[in-house]
Amino acid sequence: MAFMEADLRFALLLAIFFIVSASRSTSLPNKESLGIDPQDLGYYKSNVIKCKDGSKKITKQQLNDEFCDCPDGTDEPGTSACPEGKFYCQNVGHIPIKIFSSRVNDAICDCCDGSDEYRSNANCPNTCWEAGKAARGKLKKKIETFKEGVVLRKVEIEKANQAYAKDEADLAKLKSDEKMLKDLVQKLKEQKEVIDKLEEERLKKEQDEKTLREEKEKSMEEATEMGETQHDGAVNNKQDESIDSHDIAVESGNDNRDDREAASSQAVEQYIGEDLDDGDVSEIADTSPYESPKQDKGDSSTSEELSREELGRLVASRWTGESADQKTDNIGNVEEEHMDIDPLVTNEHKVSPSETEEDGAKYNDDDDSYEDDKDEDFEEDHADSDGSYITDEYENPDPADTTVGSSSSWLDKIQLTVQNVLQAFNFFKTPVNVSDAVHIRKEYDDTSSKLSKLQSRVSSLTEKLKHDFGNEKEFYLFYDQCFESKQNKYVYKICPFKQASQVEGYGNTRLGSWDKFEESYRVMAFSGGEKCWNGPDRSLKVRLRCGLKNEISDVDEPSRCEYTAFMSTPSLCVEEKLKELEKKLDQMNTRETQNRDEL
Amino acid sequence: MISLPALLPRFIVTVLITIILLFSSASAWKKDEFRNCDQTPFCKRARSRTPHSLPHFTLSDPSISDGHLTARLLQSISSSDNDSAAGDAPRPLLLRLSVYQGGILRLKIDEDHSDPSAPSKKRFEVPDVVLPDFEDRRLWLSRVSSSDDGSTSSVYLSEDFEAILRHNPFEVQVRRKGSNDPSISLNSHGLFDFEQLREKKEGEDWEERFRGHTDTRPYGPQSISFDVSFHGAEFVYGIPEHASNSLALRPTRGPGVEHSEPYRLFNLDVFEYIHDSPFGIYGSIPFMLSHGVKSSSGFFWLNAAEMQIDVLAPGWDDAAAAVKGRIDTFWMSEAGIVDTFFFVGPRSKDVIQQYASVTGTLAMPQEFAIAYHQCRWNYRDEEDVASVDAGFDEHDIPYDVLWLDIEHTDGKRYFTWDKVLFPNPEEMQKKLFSKGRRMVTIVDPHIKRDESYYVHKEATDKGYYVKDASGKDFDGWCWSGSSSYPDTLNPEVREWWSEKFSLQNYGGSTPSLYIWNDMNEPSVFNGPEISMPRDALHFGGVEHRELHNAYGYYFHMATADGLLKRGNVKDRPFVLSRAFFAGSQRHGAIWTGDNSADWDHLKSSVPMILTLGLTGMSFSGADIGGFFGNPEPELLVRWYQLGAYYPFFRAHAHHDTKRREPWLFGEQKTALIREAIHTRYSLLPYYYSLFRKASASGVPILRPLWLEFPEDKETFDNSEAFMIGESILVQGIYEEGQKSVSVYLPGEQSWYSMRNGAAYAGGQAHKLDVFEDSIPSFQRAGSIVPRKYRFRRSTTQMTNDPYTLVIALNSSLAAEGELYIDDGRSYDFEHGAYIHRRFVFSNGRLTSSSIDLAAAPPREKFSSSCTVERIILLGMRPGGAKKAVIEPGNYETVVEPGPLVLRAGAGSVALVIRKPDVRIADDWTIKVL
Repeated sequence: MAFMEADLRFALLLAIFFIVSASRSTSLPNKESLGIDPQDLGYYKSNVIKCKDGSKKITKQQLNDEFCDCPDGTDEPGTSACPEGKFYCQNVGHIPIKIFSSRVNDAICDCCDGSDEYRSNANCPNTCWEAGKAARGKLKKKIETFKEGVVLRKVEIEKANQAYAKDEADLAKLKSDEKMLKDLVQKLKEQKEVIDKLEEERLKKEQDEKTLREEKEKSMEEATEMGETQHDGAVNNKQDESIDSHDIAVESGNDNRDDREAASSQAVEQYIGEDLDDGDVSEIADTSPYESPKQDKGDSSTSEELSREELGRLVASRWTGESADQKTDNIGNVEEEHMDIDPLVTNEHKVSPSETEEDGAKYNDDDDSYEDDKDEDFEEDHADSDGSYITDEYENPDPADTTVGSSSSWLDKIQLTVQNVLQAFNFFKTPVNVSDAVHIRKEYDDTSSKLSKLQSRVSSLTEKLKHDFGNEKEFYLFYDQCFESKQNKYVYKICPFKQASQVEGYGNTRLGSWDKFEESYRVMAFSGGEKCWNGPDRSLKVRLRCGLKNEISDVDEPSRCEYTAFMSTPSLCVEEKLKELEKKLDQMNTRETQNRDEL
Repeated sequence: MISLPALLPRFIVTVLITIILLFSSASAWKKDEFRNCDQTPFCKRARSRTPHSLPHFTLSDPSISDGHLTARLLQSISSSDNDSAAGDAPRPLLLRLSVYQGGILRLKIDEDHSDPSAPSKKRFEVPDVVLPDFEDRRLWLSRVSSSDDGSTSSVYLSEDFEAILRHNPFEVQVRRKGSNDPSISLNSHGLFDFEQLREKKEGEDWEERFRGHTDTRPYGPQSISFDVSFHGAEFVYGIPEHASNSLALRPTRGPGVEHSEPYRLFNLDVFEYIHDSPFGIYGSIPFMLSHGVKSSSGFFWLNAAEMQIDVLAPGWDDAAAAVKGRIDTFWMSEAGIVDTFFFVGPRSKDVIQQYASVTGTLAMPQEFAIAYHQCRWNYRDEEDVASVDAGFDEHDIPYDVLWLDIEHTDGKRYFTWDKVLFPNPEEMQKKLFSKGRRMVTIVDPHIKRDESYYVHKEATDKGYYVKDASGKDFDGWCWSGSSSYPDTLNPEVREWWSEKFSLQNYGGSTPSLYIWNDMNEPSVFNGPEISMPRDALHFGGVEHRELHNAYGYYFHMATADGLLKRGNVKDRPFVLSRAFFAGSQRHGAIWTGDNSADWDHLKSSVPMILTLGLTGMSFSGADIGGFFGNPEPELLVRWYQLGAYYPFFRAHAHHDTKRREPWLFGEQKTALIREAIHTRYSLLPYYYSLFRKASASGVPILRPLWLEFPEDKETFDNSEAFMIGESILVQGIYEEGQKSVSVYLPGEQSWYSMRNGAAYAGGQAHKLDVFEDSIPSFQRAGSIVPRKYRFRRSTTQMTNDPYTLVIALNSSLAAEGELYIDDGRSYDFEHGAYIHRRFVFSNGRLTSSSIDLAAAPPREKFSSSCTVERIILLGMRPGGAKKAVIEPGNYETVVEPGPLVLRAGAGSVALVIRKPDVRIADDWTIKVL
């Protein structure tokens, strides 16, 4: 066994040696094939070659003669003479690629076989074998993930479709229940109105009698007890009040300025504190937390009113668009940015998020230039728990009440009760039996509250089912889930079909509400988040890629307030893509064996 | 009685004006924060004077001393003209006239410090701006001639010019010998005034207050003002920096002028400056040129205090006697002395060269510095840098320099790196440099007042900071929070500062790192007018008011010196500065600061850059795309198309803007931007040659049309088109969706479109269709432009690429051009290590011969193996040639129809000499048959 391995290694070394020496020995490459894709060789066979843009015809001598005859680059695939040309590197042992003609003989190694630097001083060793091996290894690993992912995806889709069917059925059931319950409520309502009317009449009668009686008594009392005391008291009160309030006004007048200054300077400091780099933490440690300033200083404030430091910060904030300006310039902005917290989000935030483990590693395919397609939809398997959790229960705080599963029993019960109540009630009995009336009212209230709950359930379910969940409803289960990722001091919370936010301590910034899928379900777009000062509304795009867990990573802000993130999910592990990858691997392997055979 | 219908329009107008005012007050430019002339006592005082209203200054005792003409100037005493005159009698001033080679007259007027009653405080003379060898070129005056009546004295100025001093009232004139008409004159309108330093009188208040800032003005009023007249002038130009869409300076006072501020020269960090205003922005060059059909002249006042300059409309002094063909100007400065230079011209390029002989020519940049720069506030971290770098490669767009703005530092402590965002700065720079690309980092003058920051500690310990009026280190607010500013007026401080750039001292720097000096006006966020208080104190007791406009100049100088030392004087520095002063061209490039992403700013960039070029600052540019705001893709593309011709070609953006790297606007826009950048790279051989010429003679790279066509009046007020050197004319497209444009092509020869080779007659305006793929550009018939038609990742890989020569034949089928090449990096060219070729085409024969700039034989040699791969002939009839014979060697090559540009689908519009393959360094002849 050990001998075999050594033997193989030797063979490899030998092969590399041959390739390297082969590429060296052809230091004057064949003009007729230089930089040409083998599939294209036929085009260049004849003695007269047409420029592909039809501009003219050239002779074979003009092929790769370091002079651009065809402006489209047809005649110079192997040189840098035509700006629009492409050079084909064979890269034996690895994947062939086409590079821009601007790379040919520029003293930088671009092809792993070094073939692009046939006439420069650059020493480009052939690295195709190693690179090819690594690439194949990587591709294999990726295929494994895809294979597993495809299975997971099928399971997910099945679950999703079951859930979808169930939700649809539930909705239908709920709708019929709703209709029934509506009828009951209607009946009870009519009943209640009758009772109410009778009751009202009775009460009115009683009231009238009572009033009459009281008026009589009152007129007798007033005649005797009218006096001056009442009048004096009123005057005194008024005087005291005015003196007091005057004092207060004077005092607060004195305090006002200090308060204002203190508040606003605190505010300024706090704001700047937020903007300072980590290195500056010490400076802001002793500043007090931000309180809403009492006075709007306005932009017209002269330097005299501001401390020199405040002035500096204020001016700086024009360029930075940061908060010193918001503070002293525009209270409206401050409120918008810091006080307007979406109640929905706030509610959700109370839910303690499940533990997320941040794994810094990410699939970095980009520096592998041999992957012609960027594998955005692939994420290597992470063993860690994902940062997702189900939100369903929090949105339906009273599930027992209206959940479809138990509906028959509770609805039957209600029906029964109502019927009993209605039967027990004697319409023709006057005056109304008090206990019956109470009963009816209670029943009406209960039933209509149940109806409204049921209606809200119907509407939320209808709302849910309206969404586009993908071609195979593969994203259906995302609806009731949120995904989290912790990056430095922020936790990013992404709830597909709902909203996304950035949480820092108790602060919550809305990055956007669900907008749509983009690029055929490869990107989840959230838009219309909190407005950025001097910038756009915040927005987020989550790029999906194949992975075995639902997991958010690499949240970034490439442009101010325009966020991006990656999410790995089995939902993107599509079978076609797997087949494509397998085909690619096959090709790579075939090439490899071919190359070996050629040796 | 005014009827209601008559009132109504007025009402509407009023409402409209109100709306406009409201709207404009909402614009971001904080006009109130900056002093206007009326809020500036010296300006208000001087501007309110009428001609000859002051007591006359009389010249006495003219004599020759040490080769100068010296005299005394005394103001006749009047009862009470202004507040400063009351009390003590004025002392005589000292006047000194000197003459320099090439037609330069220097006039200095200062207080006489030998006078026992003179104050101990000396007025500031700006040091280190005039070239050190300038004095060597002084002509020794040996005699002064007096007129018969003794009312004037005159001295020799040049072969054709003489300087005349009128005694009473005092006046200086430069005039052509044998003519009575002056070309430039000073104090022809008796507006000369000189507030002498004096003791404060009891009860007198010298303090000035502006928006809560108090200027203690311990030395009181000391302003200077005078009038200067340019005779035979159609227009005046120069005195940057102002944002303007007019190259010619518009009058600021006189008939037909609505209220206008004078042109203000006061270096300021103006937030969102508006595109057309006489207010001062980042830099100041007090140099004005006049131009008329017959001649040009120039005037330079070496003074670094706040300056205000009125350009006076004809008839400003007497509406009834408006004189045509003369432009009067009025110059006011808060402090300093009169140290003025008169340039006789008479051709416009002479004026520019005369000015350059005083303040110097631009420092020859490295080749990478004149290629494309990619900047943004901010490329956030190493990953961001890597991905932007990769983006250029992915889209086959060349670039040479990636820039890092303030956020790369550790808490705005310059010379440091944010350890989280940039943990491996050296590796990052090396990665870029492996593709021949450089990096630039920002180093501003505000030093964070942090005891643990070594720069602050050293500066504090050594006492190197600018002091406040009380003598303590001045403490102002800027990016770094509480900050102090190194006093780079002091040569010792400059020395110290320059050492900070050594590879040892600047941790994380590598030899491929260059520098950007921003905020050096200086910008002080909590200071008066966002700058330093005027009573702050510099080296030698100089008040900030006296040197304000030159603060950035010294800072720029010290930084450039640092890079020079870092590279052992073998690596040409690159330092971009925002603030500048006369002479800044010797230290590096400048840009027009924080412009905005709108069409107006695109348009004003051209007159701004042309003006800078006329006043020495040839190496300048505007931020491509506009710094503030988000340009529409069309504007961004147009900006790249125009900016590709700026001498300094950099894209930059504010951090609130959307990303705008060239490939972010769809494939079609990417292709257009790539094409624009390629245009610049293909013209780099031509640009580099122009830079060399500018560094040798001072003639700018971007030129107003009138500089090349000085007698064509049509060109004098053209602010939309410009020349690149002598051979290329470019017309910007400044409107959204523009379909056609009128382009005036000057001269008698025709012009060839650089887009399709079509010929257009000169001396007329052409209405042309506007295309998306380029802005109109033309090669002048009779010129040869060297280009490179191969594109690479950066200039580094282009070194050995072959040349293409584009020959545009004139009506006699002749043309000529030049090419300058050196190693693109070092100073070896100063010792002869360069190739300088002249190409001449005539009688069907193209010859290449060597031009030697230096007379002495070269000490060092530069060689190049580059060849010429293609020669394009424009203006030769099709089939006019079939083959070419090359000498020496006597071998033949093919001449055939071919395209002007190498793009798919490009038609054959010219004759192309295919593969002559002659070496660029050799002498040769190619005969077309």
